[in-house]
Amino acid sequence: MARVITITSGKGGVGKTTTTANLGTALAMRGGRVAVIDADIGLRNLDVVMGLENRIVYDIVDVVEGRCRLRQALIKDKRLPELCLLPAAQTRDKDSVNPEQMVDLLAQLRPDFDFVLVDSPAGIEGGFRNAIAGADEVIIVTTPEVSAVRDADRIVGLVEAAEKGTPRLIVNRIKPRLVSRGEMLSVEDVLELLAIDLIGIVPDDETIVTSTNRGEAAVYDQTSLAGRAFLNIGRRLNGEEVPFLDLSDQPGMIERLFGMFGRRRS
Amino acid sequence: MSFFRELFGGRRERSAETAKKRLMMVLVDDRYKLTPELIEQMKLELAEVLSRYLPHVDADQIEVSLLHEDDNDRLHAQIPLRRGQHGDV
Repeated sequence: MARVITITSGKGGVGKTTTTANLGTALAMRGGRVAVIDADIGLRNLDVVMGLENRIVYDIVDVVEGRCRLRQALIKDKRLPELCLLPAAQTRDKDSVNPEQMVDLLAQLRPDFDFVLVDSPAGIEGGFRNAIAGADEVIIVTTPEVSAVRDADRIVGLVEAAEKGTPRLIVNRIKPRLVSRGEMLSVEDVLELLAIDLIGIVPDDETIVTSTNRGEAAVYDQTSLAGRAFLNIGRRLNGEEVPFLDLSDQPGMIERLFGMFGRRRS
Repeated sequence: MSFFRELFGGRRERSAETAKKRLMMVLVDDRYKLTPELIEQMKLELAEVLSRYLPHVDADQIEVSLLHEDDNDRLHAQIPLRRGQHGDV
């Protein structure tokens, strides 16, 4: 039976979709059967981030309205046969699905998967309610900025009010140099403010732009620190204890990578 | 800019520290909707209730603050008491 994990944030543009795509891929790379659901109806995005936009025939609204069976709407990933995507509808509005329908849909998926990841839309309205309706766990993505942290705090309250337990936190787009100069909130600052458990720290990384351009997950890119961070989060979701990447101010990403290889040899 | 500012002694707090302080204030307000007016109201009512049990509780002397400790938000109230003779209520 699958664990249903919803990825949400409150504020838009903090990296929910990138996180969902990479965690889904990371979990499938480790042998999990994974479905990722784009719950952002009307603003479909997870398909392009995963490079699956040309394969869409049916979407989540088609399933809910009975125009196709669930199986027909699930799109297989290009590389990983155990990873599939249920795309959002692009031409419908966000009220085309309600929370009960979402719960039913997840109930149909649960027996066939180990993980179902739900990519929530931004905001705290209907789309967000749908996205958390069937969740067993919630992950909040934030960036170290006042607006994103404020919205994340609001989401913590809403998730707890919906009796989904205490969500766990991913701090995305950390810039270690700015943090060490005292010009960016540190992960510790954000944790102290939000008072929830951390599941991942993802550094700001230009390789994300490249991988998104190509429609490939960053976790495939050996040179991507962000990709490595997402792989680690996937392992933590699997119950492994993995130390957080040390992102303390460093000579530079390149030197850091060499440092890593050096350590691995020893 | 910040370089020159530091050079000429007008040292400003690091922006991360400012951000954290601002967020602390904002989050308390978001979480508890506790405006300064409501805090004043709460002090008056606290004094009213406490006066039933203790002599000389003065609403103006009560200090109420929200603290964040050990992963929990705490409402902290400082209530100075004045010693009174028995029966002097």
